[in-house]
Amino acid sequence: MSYIEFKNVCKEYKMGEVIIKALDNANFKIEKGELVVIVGPSGAGKTTALNILGGMDSATSGDVLVDGKNVSSLKNKELIKYRREDIGFVFQFYNLVQNLTAIENVELATQICKNSLSPDSVMEKVGLADRKKNFPSQLSGGEQQRVAIARAIAKNPKLLLCDEPTGALDYKTGKQILKLLQDTARKENMTVLIITHNAAIAPMADKIIRFKNGKAESIEVNENPVPVEQIEW
Amino acid sequence: MKKGKIHKPPKHKEKRKTVMKKALLKDAFKEIKVSYKRFISILLMALLGVGFFAGLRATSPDMVNTIDEYFKAQNVYDIQVMSTLGLTDGDVEAIKNVENVESVYGTYSKDGLINLDDKEVVSKILCVEDINKPLLVEGSMPQNQNECVVEEDFLKNANKNIGDYIQIEPEKDENSSQESEDFLKEKEMKIVGTVKSLLYISRDRGTSKLGSGTVDYYIYVSKDNINSDVYTEIYVKLKDSQKYTTSSSRYEKYVDETKQKIEEIKDERQKARYDELIGEANSKIQDAENELNTEKQNAEQQIKEAEEKIQSGKDEITNGENEIKANEEKAQKQFANAEAQLNTAKNKLKTSENEYNTKKEEAQKKFQEAEAQKQTLQTNLTTIENGLNELNASYNEIIQKLQNPNLSQEEKVILEQTKTQLETQIAELENNKKSVQSGINQIDTQIQSGKAELEKAKSQIESAKAQISSQEKQLTRTKASTNSQIETAKSQIETSKQEIQKAEEELQKSKTEFDEKIKEAEGKIIDAKDEVAKIENPTWYILDRNQNSGYASFIQDTESIENLSMVFPIVFFAIAILVSLTSMTRMVEEERQEIGTLKALGYNKFHISLKYIIYSSLACIIGAIIGMNIGFQLLPRIVWDMYEMMYTMPSITVLYNYEYSTLGLFLIYICIVGATLYSILKELKDAPATLLRPKAPKLGKRVLLERITPIWKRLNFSQKVTIRNIFRYKKRFLMTIIGIFGCTSLILAGFGLKDSISKILPYQYEKIFNYDIQVSLKSGLDNENRQELITNLKNNAQINEVVETYMISGTASKEENQEDIQIIVPQDNNELDKVIKLYDLKENKINLNEDGIVITDKLAQLINAKVGDTITVKDTNDVEKELKIVNIAENYISHYVYMSKSLYEKIYEENCIPNVLLIQDKELTKEQESDLSREIVEQNQVSTVSLTSTIMTTLDDTMNSLNYVVIILIVSAGLLAFVVLYNLSNVNISERIRELATIKVLGFYDKEVYSYINRETTLLTIIGIILGLGGGYLLNFYIIGTCEIDMLRFVKVIDPLSYLYAILITVAFTIIVNIFTYFALKKIDMIGSLKSVE
Repeated sequence: MSYIEFKNVCKEYKMGEVIIKALDNANFKIEKGELVVIVGPSGAGKTTALNILGGMDSATSGDVLVDGKNVSSLKNKELIKYRREDIGFVFQFYNLVQNLTAIENVELATQICKNSLSPDSVMEKVGLADRKKNFPSQLSGGEQQRVAIARAIAKNPKLLLCDEPTGALDYKTGKQILKLLQDTARKENMTVLIITHNAAIAPMADKIIRFKNGKAESIEVNENPVPVEQIEW
Repeated sequence: MKKGKIHKPPKHKEKRKTVMKKALLKDAFKEIKVSYKRFISILLMALLGVGFFAGLRATSPDMVNTIDEYFKAQNVYDIQVMSTLGLTDGDVEAIKNVENVESVYGTYSKDGLINLDDKEVVSKILCVEDINKPLLVEGSMPQNQNECVVEEDFLKNANKNIGDYIQIEPEKDENSSQESEDFLKEKEMKIVGTVKSLLYISRDRGTSKLGSGTVDYYIYVSKDNINSDVYTEIYVKLKDSQKYTTSSSRYEKYVDETKQKIEEIKDERQKARYDELIGEANSKIQDAENELNTEKQNAEQQIKEAEEKIQSGKDEITNGENEIKANEEKAQKQFANAEAQLNTAKNKLKTSENEYNTKKEEAQKKFQEAEAQKQTLQTNLTTIENGLNELNASYNEIIQKLQNPNLSQEEKVILEQTKTQLETQIAELENNKKSVQSGINQIDTQIQSGKAELEKAKSQIESAKAQISSQEKQLTRTKASTNSQIETAKSQIETSKQEIQKAEEELQKSKTEFDEKIKEAEGKIIDAKDEVAKIENPTWYILDRNQNSGYASFIQDTESIENLSMVFPIVFFAIAILVSLTSMTRMVEEERQEIGTLKALGYNKFHISLKYIIYSSLACIIGAIIGMNIGFQLLPRIVWDMYEMMYTMPSITVLYNYEYSTLGLFLIYICIVGATLYSILKELKDAPATLLRPKAPKLGKRVLLERITPIWKRLNFSQKVTIRNIFRYKKRFLMTIIGIFGCTSLILAGFGLKDSISKILPYQYEKIFNYDIQVSLKSGLDNENRQELITNLKNNAQINEVVETYMISGTASKEENQEDIQIIVPQDNNELDKVIKLYDLKENKINLNEDGIVITDKLAQLINAKVGDTITVKDTNDVEKELKIVNIAENYISHYVYMSKSLYEKIYEENCIPNVLLIQDKELTKEQESDLSREIVEQNQVSTVSLTSTIMTTLDDTMNSLNYVVIILIVSAGLLAFVVLYNLSNVNISERIRELATIKVLGFYDKEVYSYINRETTLLTIIGIILGLGGGYLLNFYIIGTCEIDMLRFVKVIDPLSYLYAILITVAFTIIVNIFTYFALKKIDMIGSLKSVE
């Protein structure tokens, strides 16, 4: 059994009279420690899948298994617990708490987790040891995203979910962030999922899932992932 | 639209403008749909602001209007005239002629006792008139003299129904010397209905000399049932009073003017009444005197007659006695004559008897002789007879022999011969015999006639004897009868004598009695004359509605409400400004990019702001209109409902008050739309480019506290976050604090007001006044009598202290300010302290001295006087004195001027004679106290007795009415707190939605998310409460200042418990809002919130 399994997951939204199927029998599997990149055009259902996987949304039907746990059947409070202990999120727009310093943003996450990592060490890991006392507004976009990643990984989650983590960053910075994510997956043996519309970065992944019309159209296992530094786009 | 196009010809511009406006309008409406919560919160602020403003402002006028309508409908009086000696038709006529007077009604009223099953109640007996018509609630008005109507409460409390009968005993007139007639003709009356009286709209029915001393109810009777020759009061209705609203200044002025005019005829009428009374009394006395004199004469005449009668009786007796004597003598004489005659007769008889006896003896002799002759004759006869017999026998033998047939012829012849011989012999003998026989017969006849003669004489004597004897008997009888007649006459005379004796005695008695009576009557007349001399000049009391306690307290209550209505809306408007400012600022911030776009597109400031102005105007106008409608309907009714417990009146007429609604709308419009304009214009100052870029989020900043490392270090992570957040959103932080502050301070002010009010009574009657009974002495009491009473009272085991004082009411004035006061002069300055404790405003004891007077603190404030000032004090005797204030004393009810006896005597140049005793009793139960007061009032030196406890009970009711103000305060505070906090919480959530979504994504439990926000709210609430307690303290004083009635000084003390209540209630409101927040937080959509660009 795989570490993560998406089995016949459907997600329907009701927009007035119309029912929109964001996920239509999506199926995929992910192994522990894999770096997965999910690609596909806008509206293909990547984000919905990620949200369901991250416990932020629930599936209309189907099963989502994470480390043997059926996430789709969790109740609200269990879902929060799942988010709290098993999931780390990184967003396109960092979503840092503006009123907290970098390290405090990390602490915000660690203080609620049992197996959290030390905020300082995580800050060091993301290379911001010297800027940890700065407020988000005093940091560049890349730095802010690093803080966001630090905040996600500090929880020591089973799964690190990143939704367009480079979407708001320039090429160079984006690359650095992807590097950080790849390193994290490798070094920490963390399962990392990255959503992107930029197919060019797919080679960095262990597994590439392509979404189209609410389905995982293809799942490709990349035997030889390329280090981020070597990817150009 | 591009900027360049604005230079097109105006015609097109107009067209475009319309189009443009349409789009903007559409946008505005869309915006309302989208952000309906914000719209509603602004609408709600407008609603509350205007609702409270208009509703509360309208309450007082509505109340006044209701009482005005009620009064006018019942044909209310404008001026009431009463007199100490009653009023007459002459007075009515005189008042009728006063300018402005439309109609004058003389009417009657009196207190009466009604005996119910278990208690006795005092009722005011009023008379149904065209003026002050009672409002019929149920049943019908009294038509006959044995019908009455009562108030509903009476039926309820007395457990009676319409159709039942009650018995009422009217108060007797004390003043009139003679037995006064009853005020009512029919004392048992049938209840035919229930009414409301405008004269008694409050529970206060006044005091009475009867029963418990307070009037419990009123009843109305038909005029037919009244038996009184003078009116007890006159009600005057003025010509133009219908035009004015009651209690309005124009009305007051109009009434005052007329009162002044009535005041002008007062003296004349008083004198007329006095003269009339004196005249009446004098003529009565004259009548009495005349009657007395006639009576006297009559009596004297009668006595004289009686005396004469007695005299004549006496004379008659004498006559009778004489007559009897004469009669007696006469009878005696007659008797003597008769006896003499009788004796003569007797003597005669004796002679006759003697004669008779002699005759008898003679006759006896003769008889004997005759007898002897007879005897001889008889013997002759016998011899003859014998011879005869022999002859006969011989003859018979011869016959027999002759018969014998054997007999020879011869023998026969012989025998015949012999026979013939014999026959001759026999015949001879027979002749002899016959002659002897006749001799005997002759003698017998002689004897017989002699005897008859004798017999005759004897019988003659016998009859004479009998005659005499009968005469004798008759005489004896006559004597006896005459004697008895005389005796009877004598005894009759004796009786007459006794009778006369009695009559004389009686006469004597009646004479003395009569003398006494006359004396008494004369004495009475003298007394009556004395009393007439004592008849006081009548005093008129010219009153208006303000002296009707129910009306006055009602008007005062409307004034309190009006004062409140000045304060509260200000708070609401302030909050409305703040809330709409935050809401609109937030809205403008949220739509920053849109504004930027529009600005970039070339819209001018006006067009851009139009949307927001329309948005806020709509919220404001809709809210205001709903608010004023609710306010106008609801607030006056709520307030009325509260006051309805205290006042008996028809239900309130709620008016739509255009003045206040327009003003309220105008004010709230300025507040809300002003706030909107402010925030939009502030934003519009920026260049379009800046606007198009997302507004830099509020930068994270270190707060001052972080620099104080020792403290900062000690805080845990969440505390640090909380503190930093609080300082980050300064506006909201302020708003929350102000909201909580307002809430707490309103509640505290409310409770504080209640504390202030509820402490007035204990402070006045326990702290300052320590006496329990106030005894007014009769006027003109001499020292000895007074001392006797005091000694008696002091010896009473239930009494602690008796303090003598002189009290008189009057006025105190300084410049144009004037207040009614009570002057108190203790007999002994040190004694006063036992019953009245005088403290200055710094709680130091005050001692009265000769330098000047001590006035109470509220008086000082009202007439604007300080220590050292000189004020004018005028007592009811119209004596005016200039007095210097040496101290100001703590006091809570009414106004007092205290001065020492020595000062009084120096200033007034007369002796200060105590007229009031202040008595402190030992701890007594209510019953004991009322028994004691009854005991005291029965003393003949005592005029009236009033119990402090009774005064306290009455005042307590009044004070309770102010509790409603507290309820209004608390309810509005709650509403305020709720609206503000709810709104702030919404703004807070919407402004920080991203942050909240983030922490939710991070896996914060609902409770943790809630406490993340709530920690800030809690801290702000605590700060708000602390400040609010201070603010409430100040607000309390402000409200006290506005609500305080002239007669009262509110106690400026807030009970610690009130602080606690204020805190608890505020916390409760906060918790309610927090519950809403909790659910709002729970509903936050993480995905949606995190998607957008920041």
